[in-house]
Amino acid sequence: MFDTRTRRGRWGLQLLVTVLVIPFAFPLVVMLQGSLVGQGLGNYAVVLSQPELPYFFRNSLIIAAATIVIVYALALLAAFGFSKLRVRGRELLFWMLLICLTLPEVVLLTPLFATTLQLGIYNTYWAVVLPLAALQIPFAVLLARAFLDGVPDDIVDAARIDGASSMQVFLYVIVPLTRPIAAAIVVLTLIGAWNDYLLPLVFLTDPQSQTITLLPQFFIGQFSYDTTKVLAASVVSALPIVVAYMLLQRYFERGLAAGALK
Amino acid sequence: MTSVHRGTAAAHARAGRSVRSLRPQGYLWVLPALIVSAGILYYSIGYTGYISTLDWDGSSPAPEPVGFDNFVTLFGDPVFWAALQHTVLFFVVTFALQTFLGLLLAALLHSNIRWRGLYRVLVFVPVVIAPAFMAPVFRQIFAADGALNWVLEHIGLGFLTHSWLADSATALPVVMLIAVWGSTGVNFILYSAALGQIDPQIVEAARMDGAGGVRVFWSILLPSVRGTTLALAILTAIGSLKTFDIPYLVTNAGPNHATEFLGTYIYTQSIPLAHVGYGAALSVMLLVIAVIMALVLNLRRERGEA
Amino acid sequence: MRNAIPRRARVVIAAGTVALAGVALSACTGGQPDTSASGGTTEISWWAYGPDVSVVDQYLAAFNEEHPDIKVNFKLISQDTYDAVLRPALASNSGPDVFTEDPGARFEQFQSYGTDLTPAFEDALGSDWSSQLAQIGVDAFTKDGKLMAAPVGGDFAGTIWINQDLFTEYGQTPPTTFDEWVDVCAAFRSHDVGCFVQGAQQTDFDQDMFQAIADTIEPGLYSEAVAGDAAWDDPQLVQAFQAWGDTFTNGIMQDGALGITQFPDANNEFLAGKYAMVMMGTWYMQNTRTDILTAGMTAAGNTGAPFVAVPIQFPAAVEGGTPGGLFGNSGGGLAVSAKSAHKEAATTFATWLATAPAGQQVVADLMVNTPSLKGITPDFAALGLVAPDVQQPKIEWMIDEASKVTETRKLVDPDLEQALGTALTTIAAGDASPAQAAATLQQTAESLRG
Repeated sequence: MFDTRTRRGRWGLQLLVTVLVIPFAFPLVVMLQGSLVGQGLGNYAVVLSQPELPYFFRNSLIIAAATIVIVYALALLAAFGFSKLRVRGRELLFWMLLICLTLPEVVLLTPLFATTLQLGIYNTYWAVVLPLAALQIPFAVLLARAFLDGVPDDIVDAARIDGASSMQVFLYVIVPLTRPIAAAIVVLTLIGAWNDYLLPLVFLTDPQSQTITLLPQFFIGQFSYDTTKVLAASVVSALPIVVAYMLLQRYFERGLAAGALK
Repeated sequence: MTSVHRGTAAAHARAGRSVRSLRPQGYLWVLPALIVSAGILYYSIGYTGYISTLDWDGSSPAPEPVGFDNFVTLFGDPVFWAALQHTVLFFVVTFALQTFLGLLLAALLHSNIRWRGLYRVLVFVPVVIAPAFMAPVFRQIFAADGALNWVLEHIGLGFLTHSWLADSATALPVVMLIAVWGSTGVNFILYSAALGQIDPQIVEAARMDGAGGVRVFWSILLPSVRGTTLALAILTAIGSLKTFDIPYLVTNAGPNHATEFLGTYIYTQSIPLAHVGYGAALSVMLLVIAVIMALVLNLRRERGEA
Repeated sequence: MRNAIPRRARVVIAAGTVALAGVALSACTGGQPDTSASGGTTEISWWAYGPDVSVVDQYLAAFNEEHPDIKVNFKLISQDTYDAVLRPALASNSGPDVFTEDPGARFEQFQSYGTDLTPAFEDALGSDWSSQLAQIGVDAFTKDGKLMAAPVGGDFAGTIWINQDLFTEYGQTPPTTFDEWVDVCAAFRSHDVGCFVQGAQQTDFDQDMFQAIADTIEPGLYSEAVAGDAAWDDPQLVQAFQAWGDTFTNGIMQDGALGITQFPDANNEFLAGKYAMVMMGTWYMQNTRTDILTAGMTAAGNTGAPFVAVPIQFPAAVEGGTPGGLFGNSGGGLAVSAKSAHKEAATTFATWLATAPAGQQVVADLMVNTPSLKGITPDFAALGLVAPDVQQPKIEWMIDEASKVTETRKLVDPDLEQALGTALTTIAAGDASPAQAAATLQQTAESLRG
């Protein structure tokens, strides 16, 4: 985007980026340092030898995957509806959806608890996945709709003139077009679902069905707080998403390079 | 949208109006999302609205209905107004910083720079890590004998050292900084996606006309990503209202409510103090404010498009 | 590739996948263990905010020696989410069999979900069971004449723990008055060593310190104010507030105290050897054990030799004041849920931990709580203290004092607790004078009493 033809320009930009990125890296460095204090890599050994660890990973994975599928599908469908189709009271419905964004999770606990019990889904993954999806969908719809609003209607209309049904337009035109934003939605939903602490804590009662966010708790006691292990546990819990982001990043860059509209 | 886009779209719009009226209904598409999201969440909202008329501790079997008393208390509560003030300030500052930094970084990392992958990851990793895990790190960094002061001393700015978290004047800025650290990655990733939609030829043309980096940034990039910026504005506004993790975990809403937010206030009232009714009233207030904020932002969007 | 699969087929495939996922999700409850009796073993669940898992393992090991047929599944929930998690669980039918509640406000809120343990205690200790246990524990968990939770041990505060090695190294003696304390701190500072560390952000511990200060000025006045029998702006309490505020300006409190927490921050700073004094209570006894201290030091990044930690009495805050005594409360009590499907097993466990000599011995040896059962003392010989000659007498003194204490530490009213905390931090930040803060607090207290 910026001028990189001259050597001075390139170095100037490189310097600028580096200076900007250092504050982002700084706390991470402190965190890594903190996790190595004392026993060094031994801290990681202790964390990784927790017997429940594989269960935690599995559970977090299942919950995240299910939430992503639901959020992606429903949000894209809804964004298509809001952006390219006729919906009466469209803005009102859209705002109704957005208002849901404002609810702090804490407020959900008591009503949800009663409901999950009645529906018989307490202590199952559904009790966590559905509220998580409910919380993430409005945001994903917002993003997808903003993106689709930037896609000229002519493309959709052109396809329809050619005789395509709405579903075909959706599957063959919209879905490929939204790959960049889809990757963003997937990553952000993944983070929201993976990092969630309160819902798994309340709705999943056995240690074997809990998620990775509870790992640091093992090192926090009433009167002791093993900062080094907690930090090591945080690094271990965060690593999968960082990896996921790095992989997905390439995917949505490819989507960008494919040149959505030309 | 750039003027190029707008012209073509207008032409097509005129031609396409007849096509648009043939557009099928979108209800079925929108319904599943509404059911799952709005269904679950509106039920919770309704329930909260009901609780806000009670004086209840959340578990005793005999809640006492008090009508609008909780709301009356709320309007006279100085902590509520302080929290609101902090929330608004927080939104303005963090949004400005995140937008600027996010777009700048996205633009920089769309240019031909080395180690782009590494920079991308570094900017985004903060988003990935749950605030709960970073809180002790930040308490340490901003402590009177912490890493930040250490760095300041070692680069010759020793006179700037301070008890960042213990002073009510600096506690809020610290919370804002931490939030910017943790959220700019979101702005970045979204702007990155949006920038990919800009025709590089336009940028090229501007540069050939002699526009420098700053001009390109302000006059081409910023307007082009207006849709994303607006979405982010709404998101950040709502996020500011809900802000809880950072002020609660790093400063415990202190010192003396200096970093009290609506989110933290709702939590402390509802859970440890068990004033579930009052907490619910605060939540209702939060929703009302959110709607107002959203309406205001939406009006700006519509005015912008006209 | 997309065009190769006809649309209808794709829809069917999509629907099938979703259905399969749905089935998988509902079937997968994460391997929930069957909590009904199987082959003679009953499984019960125990939810608590503490102690640490490693401590619990020791409890359970000892328990299972006497009761191998009961398996206890412990779930640790952090203090700040404890209410949020426990409340709905107890209201439902899928809550824990045994849950821990601290005395005071939480007990008031949750005791109705428990069962009366008096019969079980009578079986275990006889009809005079209540005289065999620390009074403070029994009182804390008795409601309308019924024992609604089993007191396991006590928590007492009012002492300051010092790093004796640092004191010896710099030739200082532990202070007995605030004036001496100021001098000691000046001396430590001149050597670039931290003096006293407090995580003033956590008002619970500020409250302890304030109570200790008040007790050196006029013993018992603080408790009277809490009960409403004295005013918070009583001149002697204002003196106490003044002394508290002064610590932030006369060099006793470390810089930036308001910005850090007691746990983990201040605790870590002390264990790292950076500060010579910290205000902790009986729960710090565990740091006289070499193994526990070393673990704590490692966690704080201190690879030096284990130092000698010793409790001292709280210095007198004013001229003619008396060095402070202890005040305390019962540690968390174990309640048996009225809705439990395994009440017998749950009651056995809760009772055992509080009354069985084997159980109480584990409690005593862990040196986090003082034992509830009278006559139990830690098995010092087996514990491996860092400096037994110096530390053992001090610990015995502490336990002995604790058994005589009647002054309580925890407030029952969370709103009053919060108001007190606000008063203390406001004074600390210099935003209000002690007299002003005391007056505000008194107003709040009066309005809370209705």
